[in-house]
This record gives sequence, structure tokens and C-alpha cells, in this order.
Amino acid sequence: MKIQVKMIGPLMYEAGFSEKEIEVPARTTADALLDLVKVARQRPKIVTRNGKAVAPDEPLCEGDRIAISPIYSGG
Amino acid sequence: MLGWTGNILRVNLTTKTSKKEAYSEEFAQTWVGGRGFASKILYDELKPGIDPLGPDNKFVVALGPIAGIPAPNTGKAVVAAKSPLTGFYGDGNLGTRVSEHLRKAGYDALIVEGKADRPTMLYIEDDKVEFLPAGEVWGQGTYAANDWIYGKYGKGVGVLNIGQGGENLNRFAVVRSLEGRAGGRPGMGAVMGSKLLKAVVVKGTRPIPQADGPGMKALGQGDLKKVHQIDKETGWSVQSTTGVLSFCNEVAGLPVRNFRKTHHPDAWKIDGERLNNARIATYGCPNCTMRCGITIYDQEGRESELDYENIGLLGANLEIFDLPQVGSLNYLCDDYGLDTMSAGCVLGFYADAIDHGATDGDFKFGDAERAKELLRLAAHREGKVGNLLADGSLRMARAFGRGSEAYAMQVKGLEVAAYNCKFIPGQALAFGVAAIGAHHREAWIITFEIKHTTRESYGPEKAAKVIELQRIRGGMFEFIVACRFPWIELGWSLDNYPKYFKATTGLDWTLDDMWTRADRIYAMIKLHFLREFPHVTRQADYPPAVWFDPANADTDGPIAGKHLEADKYDGLLQHYYDQRGYDRRGIPTKATLEKLGLSREAAEAEAYAKLS
Repeated sequence: MKIQVKMIGPLMYEAGFSEKEIEVPARTTADALLDLVKVARQRPKIVTRNGKAVAPDEPLCEGDRIAISPIYSGG
Repeated sequence: MLGWTGNILRVNLTTKTSKKEAYSEEFAQTWVGGRGFASKILYDELKPGIDPLGPDNKFVVALGPIAGIPAPNTGKAVVAAKSPLTGFYGDGNLGTRVSEHLRKAGYDALIVEGKADRPTMLYIEDDKVEFLPAGEVWGQGTYAANDWIYGKYGKGVGVLNIGQGGENLNRFAVVRSLEGRAGGRPGMGAVMGSKLLKAVVVKGTRPIPQADGPGMKALGQGDLKKVHQIDKETGWSVQSTTGVLSFCNEVAGLPVRNFRKTHHPDAWKIDGERLNNARIATYGCPNCTMRCGITIYDQEGRESELDYENIGLLGANLEIFDLPQVGSLNYLCDDYGLDTMSAGCVLGFYADAIDHGATDGDFKFGDAERAKELLRLAAHREGKVGNLLADGSLRMARAFGRGSEAYAMQVKGLEVAAYNCKFIPGQALAFGVAAIGAHHREAWIITFEIKHTTRESYGPEKAAKVIELQRIRGGMFEFIVACRFPWIELGWSLDNYPKYFKATTGLDWTLDDMWTRADRIYAMIKLHFLREFPHVTRQADYPPAVWFDPANADTDGPIAGKHLEADKYDGLLQHYYDQRGYDRRGIPTKATLEKLGLSREAAEAEAYAKLS
């Protein structure tokens, strides 16, 4: 299935892209996606699905927009 | 006393006199420095009801026991006074070499009283204090004034100055330093201007007394390198604070069109990636190895140092999705010495009020050129519009009427930061209960709300998180005086700060000792508020009314149809009060004040209003 992935802040340099559509296997979870986009596990981060929090084991759906962001603190 | 110099410099501009005053170890350990010193000094020395722009107000620069000593991000100073914007205690925190120089001159605080008879520059060099004419640069911006000062003294001095905004008593005029550092959002620059004080220049040459100078030097310098290494590994400063713009846009928390909208398809044009691509330089505070001041050329080809708040409020909030133009608006604010955050909210409110028929006027969202002109008018209090804007959004709304106060984006008169909380209850609380009026500096819990709780909840865990962060961000970092970024952005352990404190003072404090002081200072600032507004109600701790309005809810996106709910917010506010030991008005009870060692201050406050 196709999903849109947005990498935020310095994570975009680690992943090598800012935003793109990627093809992932059906029922890929949010947690599994992190391995696919090659973001270091130990980096504190927040993953959102269509602008909302997503549980790590939640399967994603066709057309989802996933954003992966460092944990900001408001500047 | 070690760590502290034990001295305050008191200067009177009316009599052109100065005095070095010793303070006690008890005062040092009770209030520590920075916001603690300033809030206590101003509580004791100001009478309620004085005009913040009159000669009875006092301008305070306050440092802490690790300020100015090389260690992660200690090149900061607190500036404070009674605020002409909010009408009670106000302060700010900015990067400046005054931090190091004032401490080396032998003082932990400067109190400026009275009013000069002509534009004046205060020059302090160790024990020497001079009242020098500043007429040559009065009427000029902060960049020209800074250049003039460096021309006289070289760059080996610390400088605080004001631009036309402060000179003309714009209520959100700030104090400026270095290339793009600014602080004192609630009009601390206007307080300087009201005293005809154009600049404070400090040169200090003596060592700062420390319990373990060599140990602190090794620790501090070593830790500066470690922080730098963490920044390199994480890449935080590649986009610095501006990375959060994209996050806010994703989760519908971006201020767009005077906070009416929460996201925008063009937000990418002014995001952290674009900013980094346009970078020509990076500036920062003294003693910082993770510099956050990404600098670009603005529309007019000038250097403009940007961070998220500037871009959020002068860009997205005004629907100006053009980075060089946002740079220009930011440059003008810095040069005029205006708070970029309040400027963005004031202009956004003005456009919104015109849109909604609350006032006549000529300003549309997206019009960068008109925004530049309005900033000029506001900085100079020029004409009816300039004077209106210069008074801030709450006074504007009261002048307009027609329900516009609902969408003046402020709390207690201080404009909100660049986080659209129409459906972020905990952050709305953080704005509502910030000590000096809406400010993100004190608590920012948006990630906590989205990741660790639920966005929809108004539960006590959110109030607890706000208090936890207030103790650290609005408390410890504001009284030891250092920047919170190494901790909050890079994960630098909080345990390091008691180590620095011990190395300079010799005192073995725990973080709990810090939180006690933080709670005391929060209660003290509440007493400031109570003395000025004795009929206070809990409504003072509410965020802007428009966030509760169903008609203002998003029509699309992740929070479509959602908005804050007043009864639930009230419940969340009550959780905060209960956890803080405050009464139903949000005022500390007598029992709480006694526990915090504020019985005398409580008795004094009771001359003005009843305590519970």
C-alpha cells in the first residue's frame, strides 16, 4: 500500500528525504515503518498518523500521512 | 559567600548617583538570582498602582550564581520591571555579555531607578559608574546604537539597548543585545525608554567568586564540548527551533490567520528546511555550543536572525509564507526593539478585527509591505494607528469593542506564543497559568499531550506536567540563569545543574531544593498580580475565548469540529490550583504561602486583598 511519509527537523537528513510517498506491505505498523525509513531507534521521537497520535503496533492504511518528528520543546 | 558576588548595584538616573549594596546569604539562598531576585526586589520596593512608564518604576537586571561562568548556556540575563503591557510584574531572559561582565564587575543585579533628564547611556566598569549622553543615538535603532557603542568601547563589553520602540514607549518593546538577542516581552524596553535610558554598557574585569573555580572551569568547558557533540550527533541546530513549525502544521497546532486556522498548505515555504537552505550565518548567546540563531538575508538584503516564534507569528500567523519577507519583519522588530511575538499577534489581531468589522483600517493578511509600515508606525507611535498598535492587542480590543476581545490572542495582556491551542487543552492551561501572562517559556507540553496522554483529556496529569515544567523552565533556569535548550532539546541531564551550582557556591542542593525556590517565586509573582488586581478571579487564568468557540473550530484536518470546552478547562484549571495549593481565584492560600516562607509578603498583600 502507498503511504505519505514526512520527516521533520533533523530526522529528514538522517532518513535522506523530507517527504515522499512510499510503498509498504499491507498491515505495516507504525513501529515497523521506523525501520523502513531508517531512523535510529534510540532517538526520542513522536510519530503521528494523519495528525494524530499512533500506537506503535497500529497497522497503517492506504493513503495515510505519517509524520516522524523529534521531540521538540517549544523553543 | 561564594558563587554569588553578594552585591547589587543601585543606580538613580534622576540624581545621577549609584550605590553598591550588599545582600545577605539568606537572601541569596532564598531567592537564588534572576527571576527570584527580581520578583522579590520589585515586590519590596514598588508600591502597587504606580505607573509602569513613570519614574517610580524600577528596571532590574538580575543574574544567578552560575551566570556568566563558562558552562552550558550560561550567557543569559533576566530583565524585569512592572510591565506597561500587563500592569504587574514582567520579565524576560536574553543572551548577552552583560551576564558575564556585570558579574565580573562585582554585582549579581542592577537596579535602575528614577528618570534621566536627557537620553542617557549607563556605563559600568567595575566600581566606576558613568551617566553618559546618548542623544547622538536616541531615535536610532538597536543595530546603529550597538555599532555606536562598540565604536566607543570595542566589542569587549556587555550591552543592553533599546530601539525606537522602547524610546516611544511601545508597550511590547524589548531589551536587545548582540546580533539578534532580545528579551523582556512585556515592555521591559519601554520601561528603559520611559527613563530615557538608551543603553546599559558593562565591563567587568574581576574574577567571579567561586567555591571551586578550577573544578568549575574544567567541568563547564568539558560540558560545553559534550553539548556541542550531542548537537552534532542529533543535528538539532541544523533547523534549531524552527523544525517545530512542520510538527505544528502536522498536528493542527500552527497559528495561521490570527490563530483562526491551525495548518496551511504553504507552511512548508517558511519551514526549518527552507530556513537552513537560506542560512548565511548562525548567531547565539555567549557560552553556547548549540547556536540557535539561523540568519538569512531578508527581502532588503539585511541579515535577519530567525527562530520559530518569529516565523510562526510574523509568518504563518499573518499568512506571509515568504521567508525573506518574514526576515524583513523580524529585522524591523529587532531594530526597532519590538517583541516579535507580540508584534505578530498584534498585527494578526488588527487584520482579523478589520475583517470582522470591529474597526476600520487598511491591513490584510498576507500583505508583508503593509506589515512593515505598520511596524514602523507602532514603533514610533505614529498617528492613530501607530498608537493603537503600540498598546498591544488587549487595549486595542477594548478600544474596538464588538466582541473583539474574544480573539485578541493574549492572557493577562501578554500575547500568546506560536502554538494554536484551540484543541490542545494542556498547553492552553500552560498559557493561562504562566506567571507573567501567556508564554511558552515556562511550560510546553504539546508532545506530552499528544504522545503520552490523549489530546482530548483535561485530566490532572496535564496540570501536574505543567507544574513540573514550570518548576524547571520558569523556575530553575530563570533563577540560576541559564538557557534550557541543552536539557530540553538535547537531553542534557538536569542533574548537571546542581553540579554547576555546587561548584560555584559550594552548596549541595538537590533538584527538590530548586523546585522549592521555583514554587516560592511563582507564588511571589501571583502576589504581585493580586496587589495590582485585588478583584482577580480565575478568569485571569483562562486562554483566549476564541479557542472555546465552536464557530472557530477547524472544518478540516485532524481536529475538525473540535475546540476547548469551558467547563472541562475549568476543571483542569482547578486541578492546577489544587496541586499548587492555590484558592479558587488562583491565588496561593495563606497555608501555601507560609509553607513557602512567604508569611511576611502575605501579610503585606493583605493590605490590598484578602487571602484565603
